[in-house]
Amino acid sequence: MSGSPEASRWRFLITPKWLAWHALVILIVVGMGWLGYWQLRRAEAGNALSWAYTFEWPLFAIFTVVFWVKTVRDEIHPPAPTSWQEEAGLPAGARQRGGAGEPDGEEDGDLIAYNAYLARLAKEVRGHGRWHGLR
Amino acid sequence: MAGGTVSGSGHTPDERAKEVRRVRLNVVLYRVMAYVTGVVLIVLCVLAIMQAFVNDEAAVSVVGQIHGGLYIVYLLVAFSLCRRLRLPTWPTVAVLLAGTIPVMTFIVERWISHRYIDPALAGATAAANPPVPEPRS
Repeated sequence: MSGSPEASRWRFLITPKWLAWHALVILIVVGMGWLGYWQLRRAEAGNALSWAYTFEWPLFAIFTVVFWVKTVRDEIHPPAPTSWQEEAGLPAGARQRGGAGEPDGEEDGDLIAYNAYLARLAKEVRGHGRWHGLR
Repeated sequence: MAGGTVSGSGHTPDERAKEVRRVRLNVVLYRVMAYVTGVVLIVLCVLAIMQAFVNDEAAVSVVGQIHGGLYIVYLLVAFSLCRRLRLPTWPTVAVLLAGTIPVMTFIVERWISHRYIDPALAGATAAANPPVPEPRS
């Protein structure tokens, strides 16, 4: 039953959590489309202020689709850490080493806070699956 | 990364500093939009409640449209910030939807600042000014 590697990369899309996510997105987009259509009818009936909403709702629907596409793309190709996260050693949550033999006691408050942040992020990601917490 | 050296990450200190500046600008824009959108939304709600007593539809419509326009800008700024900070999906959704719920932008802005923005900026500062290694003698 094992598919090709190409197919298995996409298999997460049919896991229950992702199916629920797809359904939610479809529901939201259809709902927004319906609201836009409703505003269009109101605008045509003479409510001039409805014209703005006639265009606004489809815009939000498009944005929702863009957001959904990003979540899928991020799952397949997790985004690279930001340069400073990379610098500080994400995703392991490892602290940055400035050089060989750097003494441990010299971290400033910022770095300590940041290391705590990295550790928490790493823990969250572990608990939830991958980057998006959807799997 | 495993080697423990700074080289090999593909980012020069210059690019790093540039990215940190972009994130800072994005944070400022997000905060401004969160507060402006939040205030306009509260005004809209007050007007909508007043409409029950004084029938003045025009004011509600105008403020509603202003909020609609501001919310689009808020969405763009907030989404871009969430991407830059690599926020997970649900915090991102919470940030984006906050602009439509009265008072929520203020609460979410505090929460996101405390939980993600401040630590990220602290890390950015630390990474932008890496400790200078001791010269070997």
